[in-house]
Amino acid sequence: MSGEEEENAAELKIGDEFLKAKCLMNCEVALILEHKYEQLQKTSDDPMNQVSQVFEKSLQYVKRFSRYKNPDAVRQVREILSRYQLAEFELCVLGNLCPETVEEAIAMVPSIKYFYSIIKCGHPHTRGRAHDDEAIEKMLNDLSLIKKFE
Amino acid sequence: MFFHIVLERNMQLHPRHFGRNLREHLISKLMKDVEGTCSGRHGFVVAITGVESIGKGLIRDGTGFVTFPVKYQCVVFRPFKGEILEAVVTMVNKMGFFAEAGPVQIFVSNHLIPDDMEFQSGDMPNYTTSDGSVKIQKDSEVRLKIIGTRVDATEIFCIGTIKDDFLGVINDPTTI
Repeated sequence: MSGEEEENAAELKIGDEFLKAKCLMNCEVALILEHKYEQLQKTSDDPMNQVSQVFEKSLQYVKRFSRYKNPDAVRQVREILSRYQLAEFELCVLGNLCPETVEEAIAMVPSIKYFYSIIKCGHPHTRGRAHDDEAIEKMLNDLSLIKKFE
Repeated sequence: MFFHIVLERNMQLHPRHFGRNLREHLISKLMKDVEGTCSGRHGFVVAITGVESIGKGLIRDGTGFVTFPVKYQCVVFRPFKGEILEAVVTMVNKMGFFAEAGPVQIFVSNHLIPDDMEFQSGDMPNYTTSDGSVKIQKDSEVRLKIIGTRVDATEIFCIGTIKDDFLGVINDPTTI
């Protein structure tokens, strides 16, 4: 794991352990935690007493900030975003924040700009900006369509 | 950001639990011990979702306790410097405001709030732009960027900013 000083999510420096780990979008976490909470409800009368404060706060948070409620939509979001060869972390930031414009998307996930150029041509900064923007724009369109038809 | 990761822990079990239900005892003890804890390296452990493997137990000299290495999958919340996320404002004062994103607390100092927002005291302290169009108060939802984290044994604390493009209030509780 990299040192504390080097950590910077904007450049995707989040340590090897987390870079390779599976990231979860808020809506996915909501599905997992709600399922777990329902199971607890079956086995105990007062489930809120059984769970930790961390669990309770996380559940409230992901319920409040889930962009997609329907489990099928959640699956679709991940499927669509994973077509764009994003890192897990980038995928989840985009899925959580749902930026509306290319500019906003790059501000939220500065690393996609750089990442895209590496993936597409082997070495960075040789591909024109317009093309990158086009790909990002298409991705954002796909995302907003899911939201619309949810 | 939430992650789904595999962690390992050595669990000590009292000999009275040895029997058919050893596995259940071990797992319920694991949940009790681990869920809700926080470490600087992995962040907050929100929920255990599964147990991958339980290794061979080793008897501790002198006590009779047995140590089992347990590998388990769990959902953790780990904030990163540079990460942008949404949070709920919990307290506003003249020094800035506190917000919560799941289990983590984030402080945004008034130096990191746009200069055109002024502090207004009163029974509902808030930061408001001069034209009154944007207001940050308790229960507002804001999008912020984490610029620093402080880790101690049981807590992670973050410093954030809303002084950048596309950051700031997402919705205002008074206008809904």
